Amino acid sequence: MATREAEKTSGTEARPRPAVRTRQSFETWSWFFMRISGLALLFLALVHFALTHIATDVAKTDYKFLSRRWDNPLWRLFDWSLLALALAHGLNGLRYIIDDYVRRPATRAAVKAALYTVAGVLFAFGTLTILTFKAKTL
Amino acid sequence: MKPTSTVYRGRSGQWAFVLHRITGFGVFFFLLLHIVDVSLAARPNLYNEVHQVYGNIVMRLFEVGLLFGLVYHALNGLRIVLIDFFPEAVRAQTRLFAGVVFLTLAAGIPGAVVILRPWFRG
Repeated sequence: MATREAEKTSGTEARPRPAVRTRQSFETWSWFFMRISGLALLFLALVHFALTHIATDVAKTDYKFLSRRWDNPLWRLFDWSLLALALAHGLNGLRYIIDDYVRRPATRAAVKAALYTVAGVLFAFGTLTILTFKAKTL
Repeated sequence: MKPTSTVYRGRSGQWAFVLHRITGFGVFFFLLLHIVDVSLAARPNLYNEVHQVYGNIVMRLFEVGLLFGLVYHALNGLRIVLIDFFPEAVRAQTRLFAGVVFLTLAAGIPGAVVILRPWFRG
């Protein structure tokens, strides 16, 4: 214990933190998350759109199409990753927008509570749909 | 411009920001709707009925809007990431924005044709 304490002290004394390195706050992580999830979504969302909105006509993305796609667990994983990341990225973006435009603290809290509830319910709904899907013959 | 105007004269960077907000907001609400419609998969007949609606012209135009919004948001997001991680890139930010707009149109217009064509063919 004593040695660790000593190391800690000598460590900070020998190399003081550079002034630019501030404490990593929630907002720093939020900023970082938006960049990383954004890069992942660039791939996930554009591939999803290209395959199910461009390569396949929207009128043909019926139950049969879905059953065939979700027959492969990797597509379920793909869709679930897209669901989770897009929802989190969008939710955080909406949080920025609310903080910018909804100025009254009570209204802001209410709008955020409503948004988080809807997003939470839909995340649970979507996850359950992907996990429990079993193709039925029509 | 009136001196009381709240419009910040930030030129292309400001428009990039405004468009990023609007497209992000729009794509998010489409996502919420999309989760609901896919969650109908537990009831195949209902799923098919609802997905048929996506084939009409109003929803197809909506889908074209989604394509433009999604591509713009993705590419401008890449521009933001580039500038944030490589600060030197800020010197090229106007050119990067022009590239984002050009690529959005270059991907969006052919995509719009593909999405709308089946409706015109009937």
